[in-house]
Formats: sequence, C-alpha cells, structure tokens
Amino acid sequence: MEVKSNNIINSRGVNISTVFVSLLIIVPLAALLLSVFKVSLDNYYYLWNNLLINYSLNTIYLVLLTSFFSLIFGIFPAWFISTSRFKGRTLYDIILYLPLAIPTYIMAFTYSDVLSYTGPIQTFARKYAPEISNILNQDYLQIEVLAIIMGLALYPYIYTACRISFSLVGSNYVDLCRNLGMSQMKTFFKIILPISRVAIFSGLFLVIMEVLNEYGAVKYFGVNTFTSGIFRSWYSMQDVETASLLAVSLFVIVVIFFFLERFTNSKYQFNYSANTNQKSNFSLTNSRRLVVHLVCLIPIIFGFLIPILFIIGNVISEFSRISFSKLFDLIFNTLSISLVSAIIIVLIALLFQFFRKISKSRIVMICSDMISLTYALPGAVIGLSLIILVTSFPNLINSNIFIGSFFLLIYAYSIRHMAVGTSPLKSSFEKHPNSYDDTGINLGLTPFRLFKKIHLPINRSAIIIAFLLCFIDIMKELPITLILRPFNFDTLAVQTYQYAIEEMIPKSAIYSLTIVMIGSILLIFLKKIINKQIDVSKS
Amino acid sequence: MKKYLLILFTLILSSCSQNENSNEINIYSQRHYNVDELQYENFQKKTGIKVNVIKANADELIQRMKNEGENSPADLFITVDVGKLWQASEMGLLQKFQDKNITKNISPELLDKNGYWIPVTYRSRIIVYSKERVSKDELSTYEDLANKKWKGRLLVRSSSNSYNQALMSSIVANLGPDLTTQWSNAVVSNFARDPKGSDRDQVKAIAAGQGDIAIVNSYYIGLLLASEKEEELNAGKSIGVFFPNQGDNERGAHVNVSAIAIAKNSPNRKNAIELIKYLSSDEAQKTYVSNTYEYSVNPEIKPDEIVQAWGEFRKDTLDLNMLGFKREEAIIIFDKTGWK
Repeated sequence: MEVKSNNIINSRGVNISTVFVSLLIIVPLAALLLSVFKVSLDNYYYLWNNLLINYSLNTIYLVLLTSFFSLIFGIFPAWFISTSRFKGRTLYDIILYLPLAIPTYIMAFTYSDVLSYTGPIQTFARKYAPEISNILNQDYLQIEVLAIIMGLALYPYIYTACRISFSLVGSNYVDLCRNLGMSQMKTFFKIILPISRVAIFSGLFLVIMEVLNEYGAVKYFGVNTFTSGIFRSWYSMQDVETASLLAVSLFVIVVIFFFLERFTNSKYQFNYSANTNQKSNFSLTNSRRLVVHLVCLIPIIFGFLIPILFIIGNVISEFSRISFSKLFDLIFNTLSISLVSAIIIVLIALLFQFFRKISKSRIVMICSDMISLTYALPGAVIGLSLIILVTSFPNLINSNIFIGSFFLLIYAYSIRHMAVGTSPLKSSFEKHPNSYDDTGINLGLTPFRLFKKIHLPINRSAIIIAFLLCFIDIMKELPITLILRPFNFDTLAVQTYQYAIEEMIPKSAIYSLTIVMIGSILLIFLKKIINKQIDVSKS
Repeated sequence: MKKYLLILFTLILSSCSQNENSNEINIYSQRHYNVDELQYENFQKKTGIKVNVIKANADELIQRMKNEGENSPADLFITVDVGKLWQASEMGLLQKFQDKNITKNISPELLDKNGYWIPVTYRSRIIVYSKERVSKDELSTYEDLANKKWKGRLLVRSSSNSYNQALMSSIVANLGPDLTTQWSNAVVSNFARDPKGSDRDQVKAIAAGQGDIAIVNSYYIGLLLASEKEEELNAGKSIGVFFPNQGDNERGAHVNVSAIAIAKNSPNRKNAIELIKYLSSDEAQKTYVSNTYEYSVNPEIKPDEIVQAWGEFRKDTLDLNMLGFKREEAIIIFDKTGWK
C-alpha cells in the first residue's frame, strides 16, 4: 500500500517535469504562433491561390515516391541479410548503413554532377559509345530523380529498423510457415511484413519528416514543396508572419497524421520476446542468390559507392589547394558541438522514455510523442522561432547573451533532432516488460535508482545507437547552424554547403568527404552494436 | 542526480558567456567566398582590428538583426544583392554613411542615392548563347527574350533565386508592371524546361542541347571558364557571352552590387568605417578582381582576364535601390505568370 501511494506521488512529479521539459521543446512553436496573430491574410490567400495547392501536391507526390524508394532500398536487403547466408553478407550489412553519413543535399549535388552532360557517365558515353550518348543526354533534374536520390540518402533509417525487427521476429513464426509449405517470399509478405509494420513505420516516419523539412535539394531540383512555400514567403515576400503560419500548419498536419497512424496501428503491437534460436536461414539457389546480390548491391552502389568515388575524385583534383589547418579547425568545431548536443539530446530523450514507462500517464505519453514531431520543421524555421522567442521579452532577458551563443545553438539542435534520439530508445523501452519496474519498485528502489540500476543497463545499446544517430545528424546539420551560430564558428557542413551553393563542388569535396568518413566510422560502430543486440537475443 | 544537474547548469552558463573585446568588428555577411577571408586577414594585419563574421542567408541575417534590436552586436551588413540592403534600410536596421574620400573612386551610377550603403563589387546578369546554334546578331535586349523565335530555347533558374528577382525588379522599374507581366508571360512560354538548377547548370544544358540561350550571372560564367575539368571547360567554351540592351537608345545591361552598410546600432562604428575604407581601397579592390570574377566598383581597376575578354559594356543606370523597391511587384509577376 505504501509503495503504491509513493508511486503516485512520484508520478505526479514526473508528470509536471515531463510537461515542463516538453514545453521547453515546443515553446519556440508558441513563439511562431505569436507572430501568426500578426499575419496578413492577404498574403496567405495570395499564397494559397497562386502556389500552395501546387506546392502541397508536389509535397505529397515527393513524400510518396521517396517513401516508396526508401522502403524498397531498405526492406528487401534487410530481409535477405537477416535470414539468408551468402558470401559478402557481413560486408553488405556494414555498407548498407553508410549512406546515412552523406547529407541529402550533398547526395543531390553529387548526382546532378555525375549525371550531367559534363559528368563522367555522359562524357564516357560520348567518347566510347556515341550511339547511347543521345539516350543518356536527358534533363535529370526531375522530381522522380530527386525521389530516388532522397530514397538512397534516407533508406538506412528503414534498413536499421527492419534489420532489428526481422532478426528479432521469432524463428517459430518462420518455422511454422515453412512447415505449412510457404515460400520465403510468401512468408515475408504474409507474416514478417505485417509483424514488422510498427518498426518499419518508425523508420519511415523519419524519412517522411526529412523529406518535409528538406529545402536545399528540392530547390536545386526546381521542385516546390510546402517547405518551399515557407521560404517563398520569408525570403522572397519578406513576410515572416505568413512563413510562421505555414510552419505551424505543417507541424499541425504532421501531428494529426502521427496520431492517426498511432491510432490505427495500436492494434498491431507485437512482442518480440517470444524469439527462440533463429538458425532457420533459407538456403539459396543460384538464381535466388543472384537476386539477393542485386537487391543488396543496388543501394550500396548508388547510395554509397558512386557518390563517395565522385567525392574522392574531386578531393584528388583539389588536393594541392586544401588548407589542412582550416580543415582541422572545422573538424574540431564539428565534433565538439555534435558531441555535446548529442549527449544532451539523448539524456532528455532517455528521461522522457523512462518517465513514460514508470508513470503510464496519458499526458506523459502525448508529451513524449510531441517532442519528436518538431523534426518535420525546417531547421531555419526553428532557428527563427528561437530568435523570436529570446527577443520577445527585451525587459526580462538580454537577448545578447543568448543569440549567437552555443547555448541557443545546442537548444535548437535539441528541438530539431529529438526524434532521432527518441526513436531507438522508444522501441527499446517498449520491448522490455513492465514487470521489471514493478519488481524494482516492490524491492524499494527509488525511481532514480530504478533508472540507474535497471533501465540504464538494459537499454545500453539503444542509448548508444541513439547517441550515434544524433551525432551523425547534427554533424550534417546546416540551416540551424547558419542562422544561430556564434561569430567565426564554421562547421564541416557549413563549409561544404558554402562552396557547393557557389557552384564550387570540387572545393567542397574535402569537407563533405570528412563528414562522410567520420559518419561512416560511427555507423560501422553502430552496426556492430545492432548486430550484437541481434545475436544476444538469438542465443 | 543533483551532481549531474549542477554539471549541466555550469555547462549552460559557460556556453552563454561571450568574451568582450573592444578592438574588433562584427560582420553579418551574405558573402562567403575565400576572397573575403583574405580581405579580413589583410585588414586585421594592417589595423590590428579583429574581424568577427557570421555568414548566412541575407534574409536570415535581417531577421536576426531586426529581433536583436538595440542589443545587436552587428557593426556591418554585407550582401551580394543590393535589394536586401534596401530592405534592411527600409526596416530601420541601417544607418546612413557616405564619405567623399571613399565614393570619389566609385562609378557614380553604382552609388546609393539614399546614402546607406557603399558598393564593393558588381556583377551583371547577362545572356549566354550556343555558338553553334545561335548567331550573336539574333540577340539584342532582355525585352527581346519574349520574342517567339526563342520558343522552347530559353533556359533560366528558378524565381526563388535573388539574382532573377533583382533582374525582374529592374524590368518592372524600367517598363512598368503591365508590360513586365506581358513580357514575363511570353518569356515563360519560351522556356525550354521548368526553371531549376544553378547558373552553371543552365550553361551545361546549352552544351547538352536542351536549350540555346540562358540568362545567367557573369560571375558564374567566369568561374566555369576557370574550371579545371576539361568537359566543363568545353561546355564553357561552347557558349558566347552577350551583354543585352547595349544599343544607342537602350538602357544598358542589368547590374547588381555586392555592398556594405553600417548597422543602426553598431557598437564599433569607428572600426566599421575603417573596414569600409579598406574594402574600397585600390589594394582591396585589386584583391577582389584577382580572386573572383566580379567587377571592381572602381572603374580604374580592370577585372580578371577571363572577364576582360568579354569586352566592356554599358551598365543600366537605374537607381539600384529599385532592385529592392520593386521586389514585391516582381515576385507577384513571377507567380502570376507561372515562372516557377
């Protein structure tokens, strides 16, 4: 009895603190809302009548296409690698994660150069195969091409989610299917895919939000999305209020969709823990083996090898002009800001998941979901909202202390990337039965000790995964850094972008290569952890 | 737990503190070329004044300055599109500054009639054409781009690009909104493809045969012609450069300046003036032209050889503030006529 009442008191405290922290995350949106009241309706109607319907349709089309490609590139390799044994499997498994280290805009700029008339493919064709050079000479700056490129850059989110999910699906399901005489394909579509839909959605959710907040690549490809509308009113029409209103609308739309999905998928919660030894690897015939290799090699070649070779080629051509002292400065800046921010994000995300677990209150649930949804907002809008926020009360706060400080920069990163930190933690926390907490509390553990003694150790790999993903994401981050950074503070991503936007792609190569290399090292580390997790649950 | 909170708190506090140094200068800049870093280094060596820079999009910097208000640390605001400086001056973010000793060396038509900003370099928005498929005689003016003979042959980037917006503003200022709308309608119907890509991509598209003429910034053509990649260089050589509106009664080619202005609440005004003086000096102007393909605002200083090879041209003498003043009308025309 005493234990129970204690628990309730604690959960009240938990509720209040969760609401408080989530307010801190969402409060910049409130700052945007403040400016929404000043919005001129004329401009809003103007945008609707002239652009927004078209922009929204483009957005839907781009989201659907990119989702399609990232699902294709993510799910099938994950399925084969999780269930089949073949040569090169381990190597494929590593490289399939790596496109995540390449920022979307670098992928877009790179492919536009590779495919262009003066790029290596067409040049080669003109020299050695003039018959096909005419067929290759196309305008590649198309929304469909952009969708494939973004699919290549973003599919690792889905691959990661699927890789864990497919490996943890109990082999008894697979064995049962085999006994029923189902083929590997049939097993996959009828059983595995439906069981994994929650995991797949969590990956797809990140992909969709990345598409929604993308600005650089879509602008370059001449594709106008909803986010282009936000920047149309801000940059071209000088109307920050309308831009804020659009950003808030985007956020509301994402929230609605998120909870709709939550509502429809809530029936489909599966528990993976029923897993037993999963040794039932499907044997491969020769023709099947060919398919497997193709399925894995396509995302590897197009998502990683081609861009990285192109970047390396540019680095070599520019090598004599590289300023290494500048490069090291930028590496130091990038690593330190990413490190600090990633730690803070993971700490907050961790507390939220823990509170969610022990309090079981609806408010905490909703709060912990809401803080992930800011990922759909373009970084520049988050930057702007923070500037508006800290300057709204000139009598209370001296904005000078905040604007251009690392504090505000890290705060903005936290708002922006909370989803990336939350996603792996959430699935990890959900996997563990509640009985752990009940037992812990019955044994007289305080919430803090419960956290330290039980949740910290059992979620260790998820914590490291969350940290690595946040680190890589922040390392690639661009718009927030541009608008909020302190004086003289450049990062690798900023330097890459500034050369690329000025049409000096070769000069940007060393900086993008550094981002990709650091990211790749971290991702290989990430892969090791994921595989260990998979193996542990198999044995 | 308390221990961790304390550490976190100290971290937050320490990340907020900013070091104060009086002999410095803070720049909000839209320019982010290597030559700028070089200029600031030289300036610092000469005067001992430390230069702090934040480089970002002009509109973002304007919002940052506007919201910072009196507390803004910005001393100087530098853009590559004068329209943004006009806007900043309209929003009360700049203070007037003109100095005869500085302006006497600058082409008078490039100067600010309102007295806020000082130009440092300029570029022109020109027409390039396929040497193979277009003869120079076929080209004449921006207005002529509306001619039906260009149907399916004209390439240009998106209307969200500020150089295009500046060009459209200059046409609105010269022709008025009605004629400009007609012009834009006809130009859009001449497009070889939807606007997209960078200026360099328009040249590549000419080389690829996707179009025959393009509207581009002179600066990027210089950059392309200096490329070390053989294929890009070939693409650059396959096109000719044409300065429009050079006829006897015509107004001259559209130009846009990269300019510098002192922020309204500049805390280091004296140092700011020093930097403006330095950037306008012969030394700094020579540094600009030998490191970029921009034109010097000082008519005595010749541009890079690549740029010189295009020959001299007559500039549109329109008050450059019009590039900001007419921007809103220009955007509406873009949207109304379907220029993506």
